[in-house]
Amino acid sequence: MSAHAIGESTGVENRKLGMWFFLSSEFLFFGALITNYMLFKGRDLPAGVPTPFGIYDIPFTSFSSFVLLMSSLTMVLAHHALHEGDQRGTRTWLLTTAGLGLTFLAGQFFEFSEFYLKGAGLSVAPVWSSFFVLTGFHGAHVFIGVLMLLILFSTSVRNGELSEAHGLNVELVGLYWHFVDIIWIVIFTVVYLIP
Amino acid sequence: MAETQSPTIKLYIRVALLLGVLTAIEVGLFYLVEFTGMTQAMATPLLLGLAASKFLIVVGYFMHLKYEKPLLSRTFAIGAVLAGGLYAVVIADTIVSYLNNA
Amino acid sequence: MATTAIPPQEDSAPSAPTTIFRRPSSTEGFWGWVTTTDHKKIGIMYGYTAFVFFIIGGIEALLIRVQLAVPDNSFLSAAEYNAAFTMHATIMVFLFVMPMAAAFFNYLLPLMIGARDVAFPRMNAVSYWIFLFGAIFVSSSFLFGTSGAPVGGNLPGGAEWASRLGSAPNGGWFGYAPNSLDQFSTGTAMDYWSIGLQVVGIASLISAVNFISTILNLRAKGMKLLRMPVFVWMTFVVAFLLLFSLPIIAVALFMVTFDRNFGTLFFDATGGGDPVLWQHLFWLFGHPEVYILILPSMGLVSEVLPTFSRKPLFGYAAVVFAGAAIAFLGFGVWAHHMFASGITPVAQAAFGLATMTIAVPTGIKIFNWLGTMWGGKIRFTTPMLFAIGFVSLFVIGGLSGVTHSVVPSDWQQTDTYYIVGHFHYVLFGGAVFGLFAGLYYYFPMLTGKMFSERLGKLHFWLMFIGMNLTFGPMHWLGLQGMPRRTWVWVEEQGLGFWNAVVTAGAFTIALSVLIFMINWMVSRRRGDDAGFDPWDARTLEWMLPLPVPVYNWAKIPEVRRLDEFWHRKYTEDEDGRAVRREDYDAVVAQLEEEGRNPTEEIELPDPSYFPFLVGLGIMILAYGVVYLDRGFGLPLVVIGLLTMVGSFVGWSVEPLEEHHGDHDGHGHDDGGGDVVETEVVETS
Repeated sequence: MSAHAIGESTGVENRKLGMWFFLSSEFLFFGALITNYMLFKGRDLPAGVPTPFGIYDIPFTSFSSFVLLMSSLTMVLAHHALHEGDQRGTRTWLLTTAGLGLTFLAGQFFEFSEFYLKGAGLSVAPVWSSFFVLTGFHGAHVFIGVLMLLILFSTSVRNGELSEAHGLNVELVGLYWHFVDIIWIVIFTVVYLIP
Repeated sequence: MAETQSPTIKLYIRVALLLGVLTAIEVGLFYLVEFTGMTQAMATPLLLGLAASKFLIVVGYFMHLKYEKPLLSRTFAIGAVLAGGLYAVVIADTIVSYLNNA
Repeated sequence: MATTAIPPQEDSAPSAPTTIFRRPSSTEGFWGWVTTTDHKKIGIMYGYTAFVFFIIGGIEALLIRVQLAVPDNSFLSAAEYNAAFTMHATIMVFLFVMPMAAAFFNYLLPLMIGARDVAFPRMNAVSYWIFLFGAIFVSSSFLFGTSGAPVGGNLPGGAEWASRLGSAPNGGWFGYAPNSLDQFSTGTAMDYWSIGLQVVGIASLISAVNFISTILNLRAKGMKLLRMPVFVWMTFVVAFLLLFSLPIIAVALFMVTFDRNFGTLFFDATGGGDPVLWQHLFWLFGHPEVYILILPSMGLVSEVLPTFSRKPLFGYAAVVFAGAAIAFLGFGVWAHHMFASGITPVAQAAFGLATMTIAVPTGIKIFNWLGTMWGGKIRFTTPMLFAIGFVSLFVIGGLSGVTHSVVPSDWQQTDTYYIVGHFHYVLFGGAVFGLFAGLYYYFPMLTGKMFSERLGKLHFWLMFIGMNLTFGPMHWLGLQGMPRRTWVWVEEQGLGFWNAVVTAGAFTIALSVLIFMINWMVSRRRGDDAGFDPWDARTLEWMLPLPVPVYNWAKIPEVRRLDEFWHRKYTEDEDGRAVRREDYDAVVAQLEEEGRNPTEEIELPDPSYFPFLVGLGIMILAYGVVYLDRGFGLPLVVIGLLTMVGSFVGWSVEPLEEHHGDHDGHGHDDGGGDVVETEVVETS
């Protein structure tokens, strides 16, 4: 008989609870970045500097947004598959989610290079500083998410399966991934669609 | 892992389709403002409402919050509400100052 | 002391190694400390590290006071002076008070709620290492930092801008833009500041998540939320403050780092940016930060006062809720630091009003502490003296604070020494006195010995007198017009007498600290044995044998009410007075006996290298970022990142079980401690 060091008075596992609190704090992080953008949005720009709405490519960004939304679906399917004991399905959906995340990032990369070529950049105006820092941090979060998905995938491959214990990790990575998605939902609307 | 009742694959796919549709409507609104007589003032509240709906749908279904203990919803809400409130004040004050001094 | 050892089972073969290096297993010696995941060891490391920085920050204060003791002084150059007051504040706030509070949170939290460790032991360790390496990084700026002279203008006496060492950050602890930007702060000093704060901020954020999860999930049976000690509640509230305020400063620091190094235009007015935005973001963090600084001490005092008044805390629930209210309201008053910055009149009025409301929950706490002492049988031990000192000095500081909330009054006070007087009363008289109360109170628990009461009382009186001599006159110096953050004052200002008094007071404080250090170091080795329950205390943690065994609780206690320990020892007679229970001696003896001799196998988290490596990696990364414009910057960034990512991967892959395979895995990733059977050995 052994006494466990870890108990659970709330009925929610420690790491899940911890993840929700962490995500709650991330609202303050992204909120500050979005606020920045909104503050600088309407201000006059120096000559030669394009306005955001002058160069946004809405169809392209809409497609990127859709890709990210669908990656949330595949994430949830990965978790569901693990719940059902379908190891192959889990691996497939994890990889798909990572792939969609990378697709999204590639789109961001492409978009940013286009903007840069048209005269936008980190140092040309505060609104552009805000834009790139905001979307840059969001992209970095997506990238970290992709890394975590790939770690889960490789654990599954290495061990032949993801055990019950790892199931929680899939859920945690999922929560993180969906959070990054909802931040994008806000960014897409507030930054791209509302002048 | 969630012990409570989980949504089925069918439900997830329906949710995803709904999200796609809402996004399409948002983009549609953007173009309506560009090319028709719809004013931004009309479109903005709708856009914000659509974004909020997508937000809540992902949180509720994909993040499973609808089926979890209320503690988690409250946890999540604190951050969102605090962020919304604090930054609204900053934006308001900065914009008013800017307009006063411009 | 009895030792119970259960030898590691030989029948289970070690599983195929999944890590490159063998998992550390020692809990002793140097490596035992470097790889520890034991919250008590981590707390002790935080405590000693924080105290070292208290000394460093204190030396800076003395440098300032020597410079300001007489008019037209040139003991420090202007450049050195700017670095001195910037680092004095930065070190005291971020590298002393916060980590010292963390030391208490770490050590006490599991003990107070009846747990064996925190929810995430390895994350707990990583918080410490990130803090330590971040602190080393910021402090190294004294040697490696550079500052150019300000741009343009003819400065009287070029030597004013010389620095005899390297230049530490010199833009104030609040780093206002545009002074913090690279046009005005050339060189690396302010990069050390912005990046260093970022790093230590991450450490605190990780702790916050850890403590919230621990308090919610790891309480012993019967330890309902409203039966927890007030200190635990304050830990809980502070963790929320950290959780929600640190991201804001993180964004602000990223923005200023980018403005300085990558050409962004957030705060640069010449490029269309907004310097006042910095102030908003900084103070959105900064105000909750000062509550982060004071609430732990309020918690400690709420533990000390009842014990030495032999009375329960008056109005426990009110004290708890007042603490939460202070935190909540604290998010709504940040712009009272900006009354003179050009915010709109509506904002000024609103924030002034909001600031006044914070006096209400604060007052509730003060009255409840007084009510606790009223009618009690008071023992004036050293911790009690510091606690009472806290209450009186904090009230004085609070009163001057209320005068700031009146906007026009603040316009005169701001940027003068009046403000310096205010915040030192609440921070030194408040937070620091509270921390000393805690240090003395918990000394027996930490060391198993008692300190010298004579030296303790000497420390208290010298510090109390010194403190009032130092910070009292600052109020009228300020009203007489002495400005802050200015390296000299001139003869004509007529500030000589009080400045000399202030300096004398500062050195008195220094002497008192020296006495404390002597008391601590000598008593640790040669103090009287503390025995069991030396203070006749009320709360759960004092039910443990001293010093506390590595496994904390031999048997997790069951809690039936607030002040559980007290009620096991005492009952009330007809007049409501506390009277020893008949079985007092038996109860106490049994607790001690059981505490030292666990009867069941106890699982404890295993040590790990990875938290240390993550800390090291982040420091390397930080240096790389500062020196990105030089050749060696980018390689350092890459090495730092690889170290961190590699450590995270290793951490997440670190085997669940080291020896015995008959337990369910508990999962690991970036959180759970490895719950593994180990020898149950008493270590002191």
